[in-house]
Amino acid sequence: MRWTVLRRFAISCFVALLALPATARTRPHYGGTLRVEIEGEPWQRPRGLARRMVLDGLTTMNADGTARPALAVDWKSENDNHRWQFRLRPGVHFHDGSPLTSPSVVASLNAVCGTNCPWTAIHAVGSSVVFTSDSPMPNLPELLAADEYLVALTVASDGTTPAGVVGTGPFQVTGFMNGVLMLTANDSSWQGRPFADAVELHVHRSIRDQWLDLSIGRADLVEVPVEQLRQAQQQRLTVVASPPVTLLALSVTDSGALGNPKLRAAIALAVDRSALYNVIFQKQGEVTASLLPAALTGYSFFFPTERDLNKAHELRGGLTPPPLTLAAEGDPAMQLAAQRIALNLREAGFTVQVVNAGAAQHADLFLRRLPLESSQPQAALESMLRGAGLAAPVLEQTPAGLYRIERDSLESHTLIPLLDLPRAYAVGGRIRDLHLSPDGTPQLAAASLEDAP
Amino acid sequence: MKAKRLIWAIAMVASTLTEIAAPTPSQWEQPAANLAEQVAEILGPGQARLAIRNLSTVSTDEIPAIRRLLEQDLKTRGVLASDAEGANTVRVTLSENVRERLWVAEVVEGNETRVAMVRVEPGTAQQSQPKSGLALRKQVAITTNEAVLAALEIAGGLVTIQPEEIVIYGHAAEGWREQKRVGIGQKKPLPRDPRGIILPSANGSGFEVSVAGMVCSGSYLPAQPAGDWTVLCCESDDPWTIVQPPVAQTGSATQGTATQMDVSVTPMKAFYNAARNYFTGVVNFSLGVDLPPFYSAAQIIRSASSAPLLIGGIDGKVQILEGSALKPVAGTRDWGSDFAALHSGCGAGMQIVVSGSGEAAGDSLRAYELPAQEAFPASASLAMDGTVTALWTAPDGNSVFAVVHGAADQYEVDRVTALCN
Repeated sequence: MRWTVLRRFAISCFVALLALPATARTRPHYGGTLRVEIEGEPWQRPRGLARRMVLDGLTTMNADGTARPALAVDWKSENDNHRWQFRLRPGVHFHDGSPLTSPSVVASLNAVCGTNCPWTAIHAVGSSVVFTSDSPMPNLPELLAADEYLVALTVASDGTTPAGVVGTGPFQVTGFMNGVLMLTANDSSWQGRPFADAVELHVHRSIRDQWLDLSIGRADLVEVPVEQLRQAQQQRLTVVASPPVTLLALSVTDSGALGNPKLRAAIALAVDRSALYNVIFQKQGEVTASLLPAALTGYSFFFPTERDLNKAHELRGGLTPPPLTLAAEGDPAMQLAAQRIALNLREAGFTVQVVNAGAAQHADLFLRRLPLESSQPQAALESMLRGAGLAAPVLEQTPAGLYRIERDSLESHTLIPLLDLPRAYAVGGRIRDLHLSPDGTPQLAAASLEDAP
Repeated sequence: MKAKRLIWAIAMVASTLTEIAAPTPSQWEQPAANLAEQVAEILGPGQARLAIRNLSTVSTDEIPAIRRLLEQDLKTRGVLASDAEGANTVRVTLSENVRERLWVAEVVEGNETRVAMVRVEPGTAQQSQPKSGLALRKQVAITTNEAVLAALEIAGGLVTIQPEEIVIYGHAAEGWREQKRVGIGQKKPLPRDPRGIILPSANGSGFEVSVAGMVCSGSYLPAQPAGDWTVLCCESDDPWTIVQPPVAQTGSATQGTATQMDVSVTPMKAFYNAARNYFTGVVNFSLGVDLPPFYSAAQIIRSASSAPLLIGGIDGKVQILEGSALKPVAGTRDWGSDFAALHSGCGAGMQIVVSGSGEAAGDSLRAYELPAQEAFPASASLAMDGTVTALWTAPDGNSVFAVVHGAADQYEVDRVTALCN
C-alpha cells in the first residue's frame, strides 16, 4: 500500500515535471567568442583551420559534389572546355576594404599555383576571370573549390604587400599574440555575418592539452586525430567525424633498384593494410587499394586489398634489392605506420630503413596523406592524381571510364593506396550547429554559441 | 469475431509491409537492360554463367527478380544463361556510392576480364505516417538551388524572396518557369540567416515584401502586352506585418475561406532587428505589456472573444499573451523557433504548426493545440527533407508554407495542409 502511494507520488512528480514550461530550441544566437585549439599551423595547406574562415574560393562545394557559386556568381565553358569564364560577384570587398577585382583574383591564383595548375593561362577580362588550357578542363568549377585555390589579397590598394592574410571570408585576422590567432566577424561578408563575434584559434597545442582544455570548458572545439577517435569516444567526448577525406598512401620511386616494376608490385602485395587499420589507426576509416573511396565510386571492390606474401616473394624472384629508405609525414601515427610497413616489407625479403621526414625527397618510399579535395569523383580523382604527381586531366565522366583511369594510374605501383581516413573534432557543450564541409573542415561561420547574449 | 479482427489486422499489416518493401519492377528494368546490352556487346552470342553478388542496400529478396530480368535481357540479345562447363562467366556486382547505385559486370573470357557498368537511380523510400487526430501532408511548391526566405502564390504565379533578389515565376507545362528577377538593392550587409516576409497587397493583385532594412512592392499590370510585373524597393525600417487576418476576411480571397472567419484578427506589426534574425519586441500598438525579443509569433483563435498571441522568444521560452499578461507555455520542449497558425477545421479548428529542433539533417513539422497554457500534439510529426528555415501561414489561413534547406544545398518551398482523421 505504502509502495503504491509512493509510486503514484513519484509518477505525479514526473508528470508535473514534464508539464513544466521547458525551453524550446531557438534559432542560432549571434555573439560570443569561439575558442578553437589545433596542434599544427592555422594557415597550413591543405585544410589549415584559419584558411576557410578568412578566405573564399571562386566556387565552393555542395554536399553532392557539384560546384556552387562563391566569389564567382556564374561560369561558362567554351571551345570544348579549353576556355572557362568565371564572372565575379559584384560588391565583394577584401577585409582591408579594397574591392575584389578580376586582376586581384588572377594575382592570387598565380601566386599559389605553379606549373601544376589545371590551366595553362589565366587572364582578367572586365569583371571576369578567364582560364585557358591546351587540354580540356571539364572539372574546373569543382577543382576551383579546393583549398589550394582560395583567394587572398596579394597587393594592397596602396601597392604594398599585405602584412598578414587578407581575404573576403566570414572572419578577418585582427592579431596574433601568445600563440593565439584572433579572428573577428566580418560584418560585410557576402555570405552574411557569421554568428560568432570572434574566434580565438590557439595553435601548437598538444592533443592532450586540447582535450584537457575541452574538459574544463576552456575550449569549444579541439582536434581528434583519427587514431585517437576511439579513445575520444571512450572518454565520452562529443565527436563529429567526416566521411573519409584523406587517402593514406605509399609513394614508391620508379628509379634505382625500384625501377623494376616487379619489385614495386611485390611491395604492393607485401603491405598488410589490415594491420595498419586494426593496430595503428584503431579500426577507423576503411582499408582500400583504390584512389577514390568506395562511397564516391561504388567500384573500389575491384582493387584487391589482401596481402599476398607468397606472390610478393614470387615477384621478387630471388632478387635482393639494395636497402630501401622509407620516410613518413611528421606525426607519431605516421611514424608508427612506417615502422609497420618496414616490418611487412622485411617479411617479403626487402631491407628497409625508416628515415626521418626531412629525408622524404630522397627516400625510396614515402608514406603520405593525400587529401580528397572534392566529393565529385572526376574532380577528386584529378586533384588526387595532381597531388601524387601523376597529373592528368580526367576527361572521363562515366564510372567505367573513371575505373579505367584509376586502374591505369595504379598499374605501375608508384602509388599504393592503403587506407581512407576521416577527419574528426570534439566539441564542447556551448557550441551548436557545427557541421563539417565535404572536405572535413568545420564550418565555424555557421556555428553559434548556446550562451551567446 | 476477435479472430476475424485479428486476421484482418494481420492481413492489413502484411499488405502495408508488402507495399513498402515490394520491389518496383520498373525500377530495375532499365538498368538490367542496359547492363545486359553492354555484356552482350562484349560476349557476343553464346552461353554465359551468371553470378550475382550484392554489396548494396538492395534487399536480398529482390535479387531473384533482378537475376530474372538480367537473364531475360541477355537472352533477347543472344546470350543464354547456363551452368555448362565451357560457358564464359559474367560476375554481376550490385554496388552503390553515396549518390546512386552502380551495377558492375565482369565478363571473364579465358584470362581476360572486361568490365561494364551502369548507373541506377536511387530508389525512393515510401513514408508511412501513424494515424492521429490530424495528419499533416506536404506538397512541394518549388525546388531551387538558390536560398529562399519566403514565397507567395499570387495571380497565377509564384513569387520567392531570396536574400538579394525577388524572383517571379509563371506557370509552364513543366512547372514554374522564371519570368522576372529583381534585385532588392540592400545597402547594408546581411546577417548569416536573413529572413523576410511576403504578403498579398491589399487589392489582392500584388505583393508586399519586407526584408532586413528594405521593403518592396510588386504589382501586376495586365494592360501590358503579355502582362508584366513591376517591383519597386526602397530602404525602410518600418515594422513587418506578423499577424494579419486571412485574406477571405478582407474580401480579397482567391483560394477558399478559412474556418472561424467571424473572429476578429487584429493586424499586428513588429520591428525587426535588421542586423540579426529576430524581432525586437516592439510592436505597432500597445499590448499592455512589453514583449521580449522574439523569433516567431502567431495568433491563436479560441473563440470570438479570445485570440491570444503566442510568442517564441529568443531565449527559447514560448509564452502566450492573454489579456495583458505574458504566461509561459508548457509542452514546448520539442519545439524549434518557427511556428505558424493553421486553420485546419479539424479538432479545435486551428492548430499551431511547429518546426522541430532545426539541427538534424531531417527536420520535422508537427501540429499542436493549445486549449490553455499547455501545448498538446495534434498530429504525428511530418518528416521534412532537410532543415526548416522559415514557416508562415498562407494568406488563406488554411495551410502553412515551409522553406526547407536540404542536405544537397537545395531549397524547397512546401505547402503543408491538414487532413482530419
